[in-house]
Amino acid sequence: MLAPADPSPPVLAELAGRPPLDVLSRQAWAAIAAQGDPGNARRWAACIQALLHANAGAACLAAVLRLHGTPAELADTAQAVTTICRHAGAAQAVACIDAWDRLRAPGLWPGMIRLAHDAPDCIASAAGHAGAVLQAVGSDGFSGFVALGLRAAGRDKVRRTAFFALTDPLARRALAQGAGGGLADLERRLKLFATALWGRPPAMRPLPAAPNRPPARRASLSDGVILLPESFPGLPPAAQPRLYRAAVAHAVSHLMAGTQRQPVGTLKPLQLAIIALIEDARVEALALRRFPGLRRLWSPYHVAQAEGVTAPSLLARLARALFDPDYTDSHGFVTKGVRLFGEADPHDTAAPRRIGGLLGNDLGQMRIQFNARTYVVEPAYRDDGLGLWDFGTQSETPPDLLEMKVEAARVRQEAGNGRIEGPPDSAPGAARARPVAAASGGVLLGRYPEWDPVSGVDRPDWTAVLEVPALAGDPRQLEAMLDASADLRHRVARLVRAARPGRPQRLKGQPDGMDLDMDAVVDAEAMRNLGVMPGDRLYRATSLRTRDLATLVLVDVSESTRAGGILDIERHAVALLAEAMSGLGDPFALLAFASDGRERVRLTRIKAFEEPFATPARARLAGLRPGLSTRLGAALRHAGSELAGVRAFRRLVLVLTDGEPSDIDVANPLDLVEDGRRAVLGLRSRGVDSFAVVLGTHGAETAARMFGRSGHVVLRRLEDLPARLSDLYFRLSRR
Amino acid sequence: MTGLNTFLIPAEPYYRPVGDEVAVFEAAYRYRLPVMLKGPTGCGKTRFLEYMAWRLSRPLVTVAAHEDMTAADLVGRFLLLAGETVWHDGPLTLAVREGGICYIDEIVEARQDSTVVIHPLTDARRILPLEKKNELVAAHPDFQLVISYNPGYQSAVKDLKESTKQRFVGIDFGYPAAAVEAEIVVRESGVGAALAARLVEIGQRSRNLRGQGLEEGASTRMLIHAGRLALAGLDVAAAAQAAMVLPLTDDLELREALGAAIAACL
Repeated sequence: MLAPADPSPPVLAELAGRPPLDVLSRQAWAAIAAQGDPGNARRWAACIQALLHANAGAACLAAVLRLHGTPAELADTAQAVTTICRHAGAAQAVACIDAWDRLRAPGLWPGMIRLAHDAPDCIASAAGHAGAVLQAVGSDGFSGFVALGLRAAGRDKVRRTAFFALTDPLARRALAQGAGGGLADLERRLKLFATALWGRPPAMRPLPAAPNRPPARRASLSDGVILLPESFPGLPPAAQPRLYRAAVAHAVSHLMAGTQRQPVGTLKPLQLAIIALIEDARVEALALRRFPGLRRLWSPYHVAQAEGVTAPSLLARLARALFDPDYTDSHGFVTKGVRLFGEADPHDTAAPRRIGGLLGNDLGQMRIQFNARTYVVEPAYRDDGLGLWDFGTQSETPPDLLEMKVEAARVRQEAGNGRIEGPPDSAPGAARARPVAAASGGVLLGRYPEWDPVSGVDRPDWTAVLEVPALAGDPRQLEAMLDASADLRHRVARLVRAARPGRPQRLKGQPDGMDLDMDAVVDAEAMRNLGVMPGDRLYRATSLRTRDLATLVLVDVSESTRAGGILDIERHAVALLAEAMSGLGDPFALLAFASDGRERVRLTRIKAFEEPFATPARARLAGLRPGLSTRLGAALRHAGSELAGVRAFRRLVLVLTDGEPSDIDVANPLDLVEDGRRAVLGLRSRGVDSFAVVLGTHGAETAARMFGRSGHVVLRRLEDLPARLSDLYFRLSRR
Repeated sequence: MTGLNTFLIPAEPYYRPVGDEVAVFEAAYRYRLPVMLKGPTGCGKTRFLEYMAWRLSRPLVTVAAHEDMTAADLVGRFLLLAGETVWHDGPLTLAVREGGICYIDEIVEARQDSTVVIHPLTDARRILPLEKKNELVAAHPDFQLVISYNPGYQSAVKDLKESTKQRFVGIDFGYPAAAVEAEIVVRESGVGAALAARLVEIGQRSRNLRGQGLEEGASTRMLIHAGRLALAGLDVAAAAQAAMVLPLTDDLELREALGAAIAACL
């Protein structure tokens, strides 16, 4: 109990004349004081006073005063609310109080305070969704989630809003990941599983929720691409991997059976659903002939019982009856479906449409209602069936099909995102595209001289090299490209293994060692017999080869690399090379360069020396876009100064370019060639090797001029680059 | 002669021809052309050669090439005997002198400078110079050279020199067709036809992952091992796990995916 001597706090007096706060504050104080924690009680009172002085307003104060709890947690809450109120205003503070009262998670506050500082407009939304976030990432994960959103969205207010409203794909992925067992964790395993079954790696993508729509609940197939929901809602994390595996096995069954899109024609939604169901059963029957073990994988999800006569339950019963030979169901619709299906040849691709049409008519005559909007395919591992239909382009789609058509089009677009340039789909932690920042010019990295051919001297500080933030692309595109060249990747991996340090080198004729060198011993004995003093180098030893090479790869991304997909090939080659260099443990950096006059030689850092070649770097590599000119000399000089800071026995600048240097403010490109030559000489004098890979014959002569005969190689056939670049690196690194 | 006769293959080894390899080899042997057996590990290259050596009644001298192998390990060297240096023929020289088939297994494992000694044997000269001993050994009319290599090793670092490659007649060994492979598994491991077919199907799953994280898929040899484990009473899934998954990869995600694919086959 509070000692009687403890006076009521001054804030009560300040609130005395303000109903209803006067009553609320006295009640709150009484409740707190009664709990016998005078320290925190006084702290609470001080915070309420601070809140009052922060112009919190009656609604906010009332909300705080109405809270119940221990003095310590109420004091913490009051303190946090005061901070939020100061930075974001009373209305936002009230939203936070509501959220806290609902969830009672102390982990909420650091994140909310951060939001109040950096993104006050998002507080109400974040507070509203805090329950879902906490459930997914736990109490401790909330501030991390907030930090992720702020970092990912940068200054992009629209995206920030979407993130905290949980409609942004990144937010969904973060939640799915936080819960564990989400798609992001499982993707590689699922892809390998599908590859093992199918024989080639399938295209697989997450299926994000459409704006203002609930997240996807079922997998989807679209023209050979498997789309998977970010997580299967309503399922504990531990059960997710199995369902994903079942869904992928089902999708692979479609791929193996070669399910094709077919025109919708005049079919009704119910018929579409039944035909898709029969097609599912058909492809599964075919798959089970080859992989009988899939039955064990799928059967736990067939839980329909022989009861219920709504359309969804009849469909689920039919699905089970077609799948499970031990299931008995006497409903006429189900038995007819089983009979028709049993009579058809599973290889007959027209059968599902025929059977589905008949069964659909039956259900129609039974006057059974079907709501296409709310229908969800059962069992859960099956796809939504949209990939089966071609809704055509005619505008007179019947209204009951419209929603399906729209959803199918969206899924189709998502599936296409892996191939065509979609919106950058940045991974957690990847720098987000910020066109505004990029256009403003970037950060000055240094000024470098340039050769003046007229006066024959270096013009000091003539060029400015700027670092511009990288656009994040979709690392999956890169991954898909590498997957497509599995043989090449395999070959490079072999080269890596062969060149990796740790493979001992045999040394013969050593003065000491673990083994006798038999040939040397015999020679020595022969010499001794001849009366000649033999040498003492009679042993064999092994030594470890060591690698000590740091490489900076300069990638030309000027406008000319747009033509003929040069940049894409460069990207592919650099990705392969980077994998090789990572595998070897050789330190390396990747820089892309393009110039826009001497004051704007723009470098984009794809990967720094100290950074791993992981998803963020891959996303940046995937995000490279062509544009502007080629001022090679300045880029080379900067590369040299970056390499100067790296400790290595050998340092190498590897330039990938498609032609000769040029820039908008230089009338005669030969001046830049001469400057490039001097830059190469400058590098050499600082102990940095340089080597150029020239794509196409266009720049062959100038490259020879700049890098010397042995310092460059010309690749006439562009498509050779990925294979040749890594080979070349191995050759250079052995030199 | 007696020295080499110990290398004769006494009984017919089991070999199931999968293509025209027997005819190609016999044609090559008629003119003593050097032969190169290509193919992934465990697909029957060595067994094939044993079978051919038995069929042609020639002794088979096998040398497993390795990183530390020197030319002297092939041709021979002087050794010390009671203070005297005495020449000892290496396995290659033995086969060259007395007319056997010399089989250098996985030749790319050896360093390229060690393997150039075979060059004079593989062209019209058919001689083996013993540089240390200052002798030219003319090949016996029955001598034939056979090498094997796994094209998976094809790389700038571990590859045959072009000048070596071009001296050989090639015979390519792949994984046999499923039915044939099942037949081999039945014969070699003793399991029933149905189980053998399942094992082959399982092997195919792992071969699908070649280049996706696996260096090589499961070889026929691995399938036979799995079959034997199953015959010894192990559950098929456990046998496949022990004989095929665990030796192939240490990558846990890959193991899990492969395990799931195997479960789908059973």
